[in-house]
Amino acid sequence: MNNARNNNTSAPAIKMADLGRNTQQMNLAQETTSIDVQKMNLYYGKSQALKDITLQIPKQRVTAFIGPSGCGKSTLLRSFNRMNDLVDGVSIDGEVIIDNQNIYAKGVDVADLRRRVGMVFQKPNPFPKSIYENVAYGLRIQGINNKRLLDETVEWALKSAALWEETKDRLHESALGMSGGQQQRLVIARTIAIKPEILLLDEPASALDPISTLKIEELIHNLKDKFTIIIVTHNMQQAARVSDYTAFMYLGKVIEFDNTDKLFTNPSQKQTEDYITGRYG
Amino acid sequence: MQISLKDWVRSGSPWIWLSASAVAISVVLVLGLLGIVASRGLVHFWPATLQEYTYTQDQDLQIQVLGEQVQREEVTAEQIRNSGIAVPEGVDLLGRQLIKVGNRDVYGSDFRWALENQLSNLDYPAYATSFERREQGNFYGFILAIKDKDQLVAEQEKGSNQLWPAVVERIEQTRLIQDQIEDLEKGAIGAINYQLEQLRLDERRLELKGEDTPENLAELQAKRASFQTDYALLETELRALYQSLATSSLIVVTADGQSKEINFSKIVRAYQPNNMSLGQKISHYFAKLWEFVSDDPREANTEGGIFPAIFGTVMMVLIMSVLVTPFGVVTAVYLREYARQGFITRVIRIAVNNLASVPSIVYGVFGLGFFVYFIGGNLDKIFYPEAAPAPTFGTPGLLWASLTLALLTLPVVIVATEEGLSRIPRSVREGSLALGATKLETLWRIIIPMASPAMMTGVILAVARAAGEVAPLMLVGVVKLAPNLPMDMNAPFLHLERKFMHLGFHIYDVGFQSPNVEAARPLVYATALMLVVVIAVLNLTAITLRNRLREKYRALDM
Amino acid sequence: MANFLTTYLQSNFPYLRAKKMKINQESHSTHISQKFNQELEEIRSQLLEMGGLVEQQIHDAIQSLTEGDTQLAKAVCEKDQEVNQLQLDIDEQCTKILARRQPAASDLRLVLVVIRATADLERIGDESSKVAKATLKLAEEGSSPRGYIEARHLGNLVRKMVQDALNAFARFDTAQALAVLHEDKNVDLEYQSATRSLVTFMMEDPRAISQVMNIMWVLRSLERVGDHASNLAEYVIYLVEGQDVRYTKTEVIEAAIGQNKSSKK
Repeated sequence: MNNARNNNTSAPAIKMADLGRNTQQMNLAQETTSIDVQKMNLYYGKSQALKDITLQIPKQRVTAFIGPSGCGKSTLLRSFNRMNDLVDGVSIDGEVIIDNQNIYAKGVDVADLRRRVGMVFQKPNPFPKSIYENVAYGLRIQGINNKRLLDETVEWALKSAALWEETKDRLHESALGMSGGQQQRLVIARTIAIKPEILLLDEPASALDPISTLKIEELIHNLKDKFTIIIVTHNMQQAARVSDYTAFMYLGKVIEFDNTDKLFTNPSQKQTEDYITGRYG
Repeated sequence: MQISLKDWVRSGSPWIWLSASAVAISVVLVLGLLGIVASRGLVHFWPATLQEYTYTQDQDLQIQVLGEQVQREEVTAEQIRNSGIAVPEGVDLLGRQLIKVGNRDVYGSDFRWALENQLSNLDYPAYATSFERREQGNFYGFILAIKDKDQLVAEQEKGSNQLWPAVVERIEQTRLIQDQIEDLEKGAIGAINYQLEQLRLDERRLELKGEDTPENLAELQAKRASFQTDYALLETELRALYQSLATSSLIVVTADGQSKEINFSKIVRAYQPNNMSLGQKISHYFAKLWEFVSDDPREANTEGGIFPAIFGTVMMVLIMSVLVTPFGVVTAVYLREYARQGFITRVIRIAVNNLASVPSIVYGVFGLGFFVYFIGGNLDKIFYPEAAPAPTFGTPGLLWASLTLALLTLPVVIVATEEGLSRIPRSVREGSLALGATKLETLWRIIIPMASPAMMTGVILAVARAAGEVAPLMLVGVVKLAPNLPMDMNAPFLHLERKFMHLGFHIYDVGFQSPNVEAARPLVYATALMLVVVIAVLNLTAITLRNRLREKYRALDM
Repeated sequence: MANFLTTYLQSNFPYLRAKKMKINQESHSTHISQKFNQELEEIRSQLLEMGGLVEQQIHDAIQSLTEGDTQLAKAVCEKDQEVNQLQLDIDEQCTKILARRQPAASDLRLVLVVIRATADLERIGDESSKVAKATLKLAEEGSSPRGYIEARHLGNLVRKMVQDALNAFARFDTAQALAVLHEDKNVDLEYQSATRSLVTFMMEDPRAISQVMNIMWVLRSLERVGDHASNLAEYVIYLVEGQDVRYTKTEVIEAAIGQNKSSKK
């Protein structure tokens, strides 16, 4: 490690980055950090699923995790709102710092953490309640029962999720009667209704048709001003379309984390290159 | 095209046929059972025609017989000869009839077997009258005269019917008076008796606490005095009513000419089946049916209705459901949601499943030993010392019967609920947790509602099992004749400590313990039908409820 | 940017250094999809085929000029049609690959480079036929008294440049590509000195202006060929290094690539 540093510091002053228009690109070093992961290891029983993860997720940007199945990208995502706690035999060391607090420290209120770090899952999972009650669920959990406040928030959330026009006349019908794409947008509305800081999306479009997928992607684009968004996806093109930064993971490690444009045109790691160009056997 | 047997077997159709025929046989058996029970039970309420015969027992002994034909069978002549009755040569088969002749007080028995060759002059006398009596069973005969205070008021010739309207009117009047008496006895006087008993217990309680100061006692005494004044008034009224009943009676004559005096107060109903139109018969039928489901039993349960048994059964099943549902659901929720899955939970599950196969009488014994004697006995010692030595909860009763059955049906509810909980998609739970809900909030707002159809399935199965259970109940609370319903107008309205009647036990009692088995047989069938109907109604209610829940919480296809 | 990342990655993931990627001619034949391999291989070889054709065109054009071979000059003009057709074919192939495969990273760069390179090669073809047309004109109007030696010299230089650029592309050789970029400076110098001497000659002998002007146009075309060849060399660097080096000084490119190479060791 020392050698690498010495090599770099003693290198000539002219750098690739100085060439042409490249200086205009988004730069990780200039971003505000939203989630700071420090040397995190995660074990399922004895097998290690995440290895020495160190990563700074930038604030109010869309960050994508890509990688082959079983590389730990979903596991990493779920460790940001401690969803992994629900699995038996999970142990974690290292730190995940959100708002200057290690979320794995003792005495952290997990329910409160999950209010700040919302999550949307692979398959749409609306509750068997009305559309309105689905969106209001998170608020009711927090003890908010003020009718006007609920109405306003539900409308705001549905509008933010681009679902208001389709649902405003049937707010009190069952959410289960909606199409898959609408259900997924409803789930997103439900999640943003409690105004989290961070939105975790675990393959949110993998069960949807292409048009619904595009709607979700458009939604992600519109939401990134308000939320820090992290998306896990199997679909590389999707990652390329929606994200500002992309992390490539393989076998529980973050192989490369970079600006999406850079990663998809000129990755610096051979494994990344092989994966995104379809060279994995 | 020909299909060989081998191909046919290989195609799998034999198995389809086999299972289809198994289903068909089951359906036929169930329908047949219901058919037999229904036909035997329901026919009982139809006003049967009265037949009059000349019965020739010997050459010099000929008697007139009036009655309903109940049953007919063919017997071999040989058999008859062996029993010492002469049968003419050349006859191989003989018809034999069972005739319900009633008039137990005259003949000593309600039924009589008669060989058809001894019967002659079959006739259907239009004015033959059936009297349903409060005691001694039915009376079949003819009206002769009406008597008031030992004075003959009206008389008629045999063969005429001019007294019939008067008789019907008097029976109606008597019934009104009897209703009043019943109201008084069960209502006002019953309430006063209950209050007096409570006063006695209050006094005893004060005594035990050492607070039997003169003031307190005086207060009680004052209350008691006021109740007793009320009571005296009511009693006078009652006595007057009884006197008005006792005065008038009816003189009737049997087919063979024996006359008999019957007090009107002893007659429940009189009718002339041979003289009734179809419409009258139908309305009579439904009146009888209504009486059956809404009245108290008479004459050692062989007559009258079965209302207390229906009420007791439904009551017990409802209380059982109320007890078993929360208990089973809480157990299942703990086992599935909270307990660490491992060896111990597996052992508990196996134990729960095995509980379901323990013979029910074992539960009865356990209920008697644990609930009645141990818990009940201790409750009495702690809370009802004033009633001692008479037990309050330390004796079989509705609560203990319901608890025992709750225990018996607990495994069903636990298993069904666990099944329902396990079928709720993980993604829905995670969805709720990810919104910042705690585990308890998720359970309460999402999982329990979604699992409620499965819980209802558990309750349905529990109800089906509990309503048909008899053996354990005999030990923990069911009696053949309960003096009071477990629910009445006296606070606290629901009396869990009381003993109660149950349809299943009623069937057993009427069918096997009754002094008059022949007369009671149709009632056994009718009661059995009633039990089936009650269970069906309870189950249908639960199923409707479940389907509604299912529609509401239709799970996602995941 | 790149340096920051390199520092960042290597300080945090020392194990990554050994696996640092390197693109070579084998890179585009290791996809899971064999069909994709074939498609990429096809556009690559078609581009090289087109390069071969164009190279031959330059050679023939120069030969026709120096030997006054009008037959050969006509052949060169006709061959231009073939080159144009090849460009259309290759571009169509690339469009299909973009639409159906949505290539990323080095695959994407390869397709982009091929599209750009066909344009440059086509332009080289055009310039060659301009030279051939000049031959025909000179044959009509009478040969120029001066300039054939300069034209042949410059022609050989740029033909070598095209050849080297194509070789660099075939081998993914950035060093050779850099050499081509350097060579372009020589070509520019040669062009300037040749034009200067021809202008001097014309001033001395104004009667020969129209013939000499033809040779001047030839020199101009050949200089343009050199520019296109250096474009090809820049594409090779973009393909291999992932950095767009157009409109960048050669020294800067050289320094950056050299530095990058040292960090890869």
